[in-house]
Parts: sequence; structure tokens; C-alpha cells
Amino acid sequence: MSTTRKILFGAVGVWLLFVIIGFTGILGSAPRNEEFAPDEEFAIPSWIDLPGQLDINRAVLYLVISALLTCITMVYIANRMQARPNRVQTAVETLYTLMRDNITRGNMDDKMAKKWFPFIGTLFLFIWFNNLIGFIPLPTAAHHVEVFGLEIPAFALYAATANISVPLVLALMVFIAYTAEGIRHHGPLGYLKSLIPAGVKGGMAAFIFVLEVMSNIMRILSLSVRLFANMLAGHMIILFMSGGLAIILGMAGLGFALLPIGLALYLFEVGLVATLQAFIFATLSAIYLGGSVAESH
Amino acid sequence: MNTFMTILSFIFAQEDPAETASAAGKAIAVGVGGGLGAVGAGVGIGIIFGKVIESVTRQPEMRDEITSIQWLGFALTEACFFYGLVSGLIALFLA
Repeated sequence: MSTTRKILFGAVGVWLLFVIIGFTGILGSAPRNEEFAPDEEFAIPSWIDLPGQLDINRAVLYLVISALLTCITMVYIANRMQARPNRVQTAVETLYTLMRDNITRGNMDDKMAKKWFPFIGTLFLFIWFNNLIGFIPLPTAAHHVEVFGLEIPAFALYAATANISVPLVLALMVFIAYTAEGIRHHGPLGYLKSLIPAGVKGGMAAFIFVLEVMSNIMRILSLSVRLFANMLAGHMIILFMSGGLAIILGMAGLGFALLPIGLALYLFEVGLVATLQAFIFATLSAIYLGGSVAESH
Repeated sequence: MNTFMTILSFIFAQEDPAETASAAGKAIAVGVGGGLGAVGAGVGIGIIFGKVIESVTRQPEMRDEITSIQWLGFALTEACFFYGLVSGLIALFLA
């Protein structure tokens, strides 16, 4: 038996032991917990009051961190470019090629790609950093814990993109960008005409036109809800699997039993969903931008 | 109808029938939204990956191109699950 296998068996044994101990009730059991409200984990209480709706809260903190990260890391790496790249530079160059060739150039012609690549690339990197820092526990929770007499906020997973307003603003930005680009290319009337596929005439054209206008508005909704719901559901299921359910139901054993699922889901979210959602958002923005100037689809 | 209400109030441990019905409706909303959404998205994701395997075995030289389209399709299909889930959650928390 190899060492890795021994360690693995040991870990599974300890886990099973804890599950059994938990379910026997030695660690104590509580009735259903009415005080713990899962939706409070996603609440955004105001930290600094500013006039109007401009309060600073945790979502704003996450936005600022990810914006700074996007700018600083990329500018820093760009300034230190070398002919013989190190590992970080190679990774960023791969990312750059992905953004430029796959996302932007794959969906629009070269002249437009040159113009819109900075927008699409920034969108991708910003959402990506936003999703990734959402999986690092930061002391931003609404409730506090006491450590050696010091009141510090509890560590929490939270992402600004798990709040509908952030993806909605990004989606509206994309909507305005591609509508403006389409109007600039076709003219206001020509843009509305270009919504109707070529070769459709008469009453059918009016019907298709209404459908196309509706689908254009639905794009804002689907673009924002896709990102928002993915991040919210991801954070929620991690919360429930790694402790939340055990606390609500007051069963210690359940917490131990579900912990591996929570870990697996965490890895799935970090490894796949965070990157994939940023990629999808950028790709769809590029497709919409490219489609708005296409002659007729 | 009365027996149904009794069963519901037993499950949800509430006295008021109207509140019981409301709690039951919310539970049904989350269940149908999340559950049926998961069914549809699961079938769709299965079809996508099945087709990807099929086409890569037919044309292995197209692998890179297929992989990038595959993730696009996967994310678009997966999102349909979240539309159902979000409408269920809206019913649960806001209705």
C-alpha cells in the first residue's frame, strides 16, 4: 500500500469517525435554529453613509479591490515584459491570446476587433477577478466574532457579482455599446431594419421585428441573471454544504457528512464556474457587438 | 380540502391555514423552479457533452475548436437552471 493511499484511507477513516460521533449526539444537538437567516450572508449593510444611494458597503469594497487588481497586475506585468518570459508572463500571454483571438476576433471583423478589444478584455478580466476574489474568505461579514477581546468581522465568502446590480450594470453597458455601434453603422432606421432577417416580407416582418426587439431586451436580463445566479447559487450551495444546513437543522453529524461535498463544490466553483462565467460574459458581449454591425442575420 | 390543510399545517407547524398555504406555495415554487430547472439543464448538458464526444471521435483534428464551443454551450445551458432557481427564490423571499 503506497503512502498516498494510506493517508487517504486515514483521512476517510477520521471523517467517518466524526460523522458517526456527530450523529450519535455526543457533540450535542439543538432544535431547529430560527435565528440563522441564510439570506443575511448576502446582505449589504451600509458601512459609510454618503448622500443618495452612494453608500459604501462590502460590494463596493469588492468592486474596488477587483478593479485595482485588474489594473495593477496587468500594468505591472505589461511593464516587465521580457523576451524570455517567465511563468507568470506566459500565463498572462495565453490569457491575452484567448481574449484577443478567441473572444474578440472570433466574433467580429478585424477593424471592429481592434476597436473593441480593450472593452471586451477589460470586461473579461474585471469579471474574472471579481469572481475569483469572491472565493477568498475576507473579514467582511455582517456579524462579528470576538477573538481575545477584539471584535472583528467574521470571515465570509462574498462576491460583488453575486449581487444583481453589478451584472445588471455591466449588461446595460454592453447593451448600450452594441446598440450605439449598430446605429452608427446602419443609421437609426437602418439599424431597426437590420433586426429583420433578409427575405422576410409583409406582416411576417412586423411579427419578427417585435420578436427581435423583445429578444434584444431579454439579452440584458439573460446576460445579467446568468452571471448573478451562477455566483449566488455557487456561494449559497457552498454555504449550505459546509456548515449552513447543520446549523439550521442543529445536527452536528450532518455538518461532517456534507463537508466533503462542500469542498468539492468549492473546487468546482473556483476551477470552472468563476472562469467560465467571465468567459461567457465576454464572448456573448463580443457576439452581440459583432452581430449589431453584421449586414443582416 | 380540510385534511389536506391539516397535513400541511402538520408539516409546516403553523396554525393559520392561510399562512400554511402560503408557506406551502413558496416551498412548491422553490421545488418546481429548482427541480424542473435542474431536469432540463441536466438533459441539455448531457446532450452537449455527448455530442462533443461523438464529434471529437469522428474528427479528432477539430478538437480545439469543438472544446471552445462546448464550454459556450455548457454555460448557456447551465444558466437555464438558474433562471428557474432564481424565480423560485424570488417567490420564496419576495412574494
